[in-house]
Amino acid sequence: MSYITPLSKRKGLQLFGSPNEIFLIIAIAVLSLVIGFTNSVFFSIATPFDLLRSSLIEILFALGLLIVLVSGGIDISFPIVGIFAGYTTVVIMLNLGLDTYSLWIPLVLAAIVGAILGSVNALLIAGFGLPTLIATLGTTGMFRGFLLSYIGSVYIANIPLGLDEFSTADLISIQTGSGTLARLHVLVIPVLILAIAIAFMMRRTMFGRTIFAIGGNEESARRMGMNVRWTKARIYMLVGALSGVAGILYISLQRKADPYDLAGTELEIIAAVVLGGASIMGGYGTVTGTILGVLLINLIKDNLILLGIPGSWQRAAIGLMLLIGVMSQAIADKRRAKQATVIEEDAS
Amino acid sequence: MKDISRDLTRRLLSDRKLTQLIVVALIVFLAFSILVPDLFLTPRNFVSMAFQIPEIALLALGVMLAMLTAGIDLSVVSMSNLAALSTAYLLVTQVTDGGGNVYLWIVIAIVIGIVVGLISGLANGAIIAGVGVTPILATLATLTLYNGIAVGIRNGQSIIGLPPEFTAIGNGSFLGIPIPMIILLVAGAGVALYINKTGLGMQSVLVGANQEAATYSAIGVKKVLLMTYTLSGGLSALAGLIIASRSASANPDYGSSYVLLAIVIVVLGGVNPYGGFGTVTGVILATAVLQMVSSGFNALRFSQFFYQLAQGFVLIAVMILNTYVDKRRMRAKKDKAPKES
Repeated sequence: MSYITPLSKRKGLQLFGSPNEIFLIIAIAVLSLVIGFTNSVFFSIATPFDLLRSSLIEILFALGLLIVLVSGGIDISFPIVGIFAGYTTVVIMLNLGLDTYSLWIPLVLAAIVGAILGSVNALLIAGFGLPTLIATLGTTGMFRGFLLSYIGSVYIANIPLGLDEFSTADLISIQTGSGTLARLHVLVIPVLILAIAIAFMMRRTMFGRTIFAIGGNEESARRMGMNVRWTKARIYMLVGALSGVAGILYISLQRKADPYDLAGTELEIIAAVVLGGASIMGGYGTVTGTILGVLLINLIKDNLILLGIPGSWQRAAIGLMLLIGVMSQAIADKRRAKQATVIEEDAS
Repeated sequence: MKDISRDLTRRLLSDRKLTQLIVVALIVFLAFSILVPDLFLTPRNFVSMAFQIPEIALLALGVMLAMLTAGIDLSVVSMSNLAALSTAYLLVTQVTDGGGNVYLWIVIAIVIGIVVGLISGLANGAIIAGVGVTPILATLATLTLYNGIAVGIRNGQSIIGLPPEFTAIGNGSFLGIPIPMIILLVAGAGVALYINKTGLGMQSVLVGANQEAATYSAIGVKKVLLMTYTLSGGLSALAGLIIASRSASANPDYGSSYVLLAIVIVVLGGVNPYGGFGTVTGVILATAVLQMVSSGFNALRFSQFFYQLAQGFVLIAVMILNTYVDKRRMRAKKDKAPKES
């Protein structure tokens, strides 16, 4: 018996080799082939580039959520934290006349605003011990109400120059045969670095291991002398900052700051992370799986029309997909639990 | 003996929470009566509140049933819109001007709407109890799915122009009491009876208090969960029908902010989000409190966003208060315990 992860789960900590991740890769490959054979437009270098571009922001949010899920909590406030931090940053910069080409100012500002909002969650969850779903549901209402009542409820089209310019910063742009320009956004690199950093943090640092321990069994973690409260507080502040960064980058890619944006995206991102193999009960989850989960959901979402689903039924299709995702995960969990008991019996 | 004493403490606990709530209701009532007497303290305002309370209270009762079993139902609003849309669709396609048997079709449409709600709820229950998906995830997914189906039926457009015979239900009164309020009281009494007097209902509270213990006590947890979410679907459908009848229309995206509101109400109404405790009276009273806050804010010309902020704040304040009170009571019990023995 291990306090952190049962034997059968530990395999998932390797980069590849977890059955769930292999399944996701196969699903993505098969789906790509199916879409490609029904419509050859799909087989273009522009497709993976577009898929990455539409997934980047979600990957950032998803990585934050992954940390929360691994710790055994849930956060539904991250999209509003993101748009709150991003929109507030734009408002602050425009009011201070900071219409610069700098990218660091908005990023740092948004991370700070996000961390402040995250610390409200931290206070409620780590400080007062409220259940995470109820606490973040409450802060979602509070943050959204505060943003729209006191900071602004209008759409800002003229975002600071640096953010505006960044939206077209391409790493690679290739002229495709059909005449369109296939562009890979430069954001791919920082997101990749960040993902590796988070994977390292989760696996190799004391903080990361404590998160897994808390998610596995909070009481055991406490009795092992881990500072559960402080770890939880740090998690929600970190996730707040990460969401803030994701929010300002979202605004940059959209080239507009709309305070009504992102509301409702939590469903899809939660589903992506769960599809990626993270357990909602805590103690388990991988960065690779999370990224694959986001990519799979976006692949389906972006190609519903190519898959022949009429426009008005797209939301139902997404709902069905989310349902299949969470159900297959639950079934896999059950099987895993059975395996774990079998192993225990063998050991004894 | 133990059972009796536990029953007694539970009743006292419910009384304490109800007293708190009544005090809160009085404070809210007095505050707005003093602040905006000419707009708040009018018969018209109270009549309009009596028409608005039932729909949201029914949604909250659905959430309460799920919370009693330590689960949650986030799909209530989607189910209510789906049911309303199904009924409205039947009404506008079957009830043509003057032709056809209007009343018969209204009854059929209402039955179909409620059946749609029950089936949606049953599906939730099957996903949660049968497949073993956590209630949060299952209902998050079906929230999107049911909403998507509602959008799909009519291409995302709302259905307007429901027959006056149907809208009379939501806007009419019987002996001076708004009909939606009568529906709420009947449904509320039904839910209270279910929780307190039927085997399955009482078991659902036990499942919420301790699922593992319930399993070992040979309680059919799966059956209980199926019933819980099916009923939640039925209550949501009732809410949807009232909304459709009151507004003479059905919209797939109506009331997306009601999910937060319903949970705020349930928690304010004294339902334990960890399961095992909750009362119908508390939930209905809490709905009235929030409706007073909403209409008071309207009278004060606060924006709906400010109301959302207030909802979030109330939710968190009540939760913090509850944990503190519970902790203190626990400590008080601990201090007492050795003396008694």
